[in-house]
Amino acid sequence: MNAAAPHRVVVTGCGAVSAVGATAGAFWEALLAGRSGIARLPRFVAARLPVTVGGEVAAVPVGRADRDVVLANRAIDEALDVAGLGRSALGFIWATGLDTYQEGDRGPVFRPAGSCFAALAHPFGEPRRMIAAACAAGTQAIGEAYWHVRAGHVAACVAGGSSCMLSPFYIIGFAALQALAADDGDDPSSTCRPFDRRRRGFAVSDGAGALVVESLDGARRRGAPILAEIVGFGMSQDRFDLNRPPEDGSGAERCLRRAVEDAGLTPGDVGAVNAHATGTRAGDLAEAAAIRRFFGDVWTEKPVSSLKGAIGHAMAAAGALEAVAAVATCRTGVVPPTVNLGDPDDGCELCHVIGRPRPDDGVRTVLSASFGMGGQNAAVLFRRLA
Amino acid sequence: MTYLVAAAERRSAAELPAEPARLRRDFRRFNLPVQLALAAATDVVPAAEDPASMAVVSLAPCQNGSPELYRWAEAALAAGSAGRFGATRMNPTHTLHVIDNLALSAFAIAYGSDGYCLGVGGAPGQAWCGMEILCERLAGGREREGLLMAGDQTRVADATGSRGVALLFSAQCRPYAALGRPVELVAIEHARRRSPSPVTAHAAAGLCDFLGAVARQGAGPFAYEVPAEQSDGTDHVTLVLRVA
Repeated sequence: MNAAAPHRVVVTGCGAVSAVGATAGAFWEALLAGRSGIARLPRFVAARLPVTVGGEVAAVPVGRADRDVVLANRAIDEALDVAGLGRSALGFIWATGLDTYQEGDRGPVFRPAGSCFAALAHPFGEPRRMIAAACAAGTQAIGEAYWHVRAGHVAACVAGGSSCMLSPFYIIGFAALQALAADDGDDPSSTCRPFDRRRRGFAVSDGAGALVVESLDGARRRGAPILAEIVGFGMSQDRFDLNRPPEDGSGAERCLRRAVEDAGLTPGDVGAVNAHATGTRAGDLAEAAAIRRFFGDVWTEKPVSSLKGAIGHAMAAAGALEAVAAVATCRTGVVPPTVNLGDPDDGCELCHVIGRPRPDDGVRTVLSASFGMGGQNAAVLFRRLA
Repeated sequence: MTYLVAAAERRSAAELPAEPARLRRDFRRFNLPVQLALAAATDVVPAAEDPASMAVVSLAPCQNGSPELYRWAEAALAAGSAGRFGATRMNPTHTLHVIDNLALSAFAIAYGSDGYCLGVGGAPGQAWCGMEILCERLAGGREREGLLMAGDQTRVADATGSRGVALLFSAQCRPYAALGRPVELVAIEHARRRSPSPVTAHAAAGLCDFLGAVARQGAGPFAYEVPAEQSDGTDHVTLVLRVA
């Protein structure tokens, strides 16, 4: 690779494993259909947990200690199949979330996130980098891969994230932090309500999202499918508080702005936003404020959707799964709806996509944003290749 | 070019820094590895020209958690085996002991970081990735200085083996405080091992040993072979340095 000139960077493969589908295609279809994968989990009911719902990935059943690795590799394998590449020639920039317990034959088995990463990373070439940015980690990993390929340090990378944090430990922990939506009524699928007046918190889910990120020149030489171009990446720190964002969303807005500046574009060039919006009171308000400030007068024209109502919050995988959806929007022009959003809250005013997908009306550029605990923000800008 | 200009190691939380005040207030919320990483970082910050604009890479602990969280998990596992998982209660502050990026966030809040900030995960050998990332940033001219910090422990149950370390790098030729001479980090070389080697999961120990080796060096070129157990087990890593 030539490190002298920046390379254009494209996505040539996507893989997704989520609570609503175990392939990128099934995931996208479910998002367009407005389906929610949040369900009541009998094992949580039996354990009498304070919250008994979550977004479990049925395709990789609970009950094996290496479920974290299996789940991640499903998404990685799918992305590599689409791209037509093998692991050994690629870099690997990935987030595996936090340490967990997996269900083994003889009860819970402690699984450090670093061990999961090491198992996934070994077959890959250089670099093999593990990203730790809480809920922004998946997006951060994709952005780092983009910068790395753009600079010519590596020809191609697998980037994204995976998480298996839907366990009693995190249910109790996040419940203690009052971040989870408590059980409410007989319809667990409506637990998470991003931007909605009735939102009460998020629902934990498992998942994995993988992108193959490579140079445009390399992809063309190989005749690889080009799903979208990555044109910008931004990051910022809130520099405010460990547990909550500033109400005006200034840290998040700075991140969004940096992503479009990195692309040499302006906010007006962005067609749609795939929002982080987890359904917490403070987080959604700050994010809505950030998006309005970012767009200025044109915020009423820029569709915004969140996937958390459909798939829950997959932590380190969240940004990666949202990136898979953003790529699909770039390809099709269609913006999926925010599941469970019916009545946007005061302060959450945005150009929401409610009830059904927004049909193709020319959206070609999507900003996918993630905002992690502690105030770590990341956003990647995708565009249909002209 | 990348120069090591300052470094610090902490093994005890007995004397945590009093400044910045905001960091001092937050310290009690963190587990010991994060406290020690932040304390070490605070030790080297005075050598930085502009802490707010430097690149910051923070390594997450390979052994997350704390004795308090460990005891809770043991109790929760026992309760879970009896079908009473839901009866356990967690102190919300202890939840923070497992979050992987808090040292970075706390540093950013304390020093107003507005430059490149990255949390690197707690997998074996990621310390050298963190160093490599800073070299890339400084070589690209995007920042003039970079901070690498890490904290970890050997055993979560009692936080034994807890160490924090911080290294400050500069794109400008400046003397390394511990030697009084410039130490240039020329390259980080990788060669794949024929077969994986066993590793020790500790985010800070490898960097501390590296600093010890640098402290023993005289003038001239110097190749630091990362011990196999402090690599990722896949690559043989060599740091190529030059002491003026």
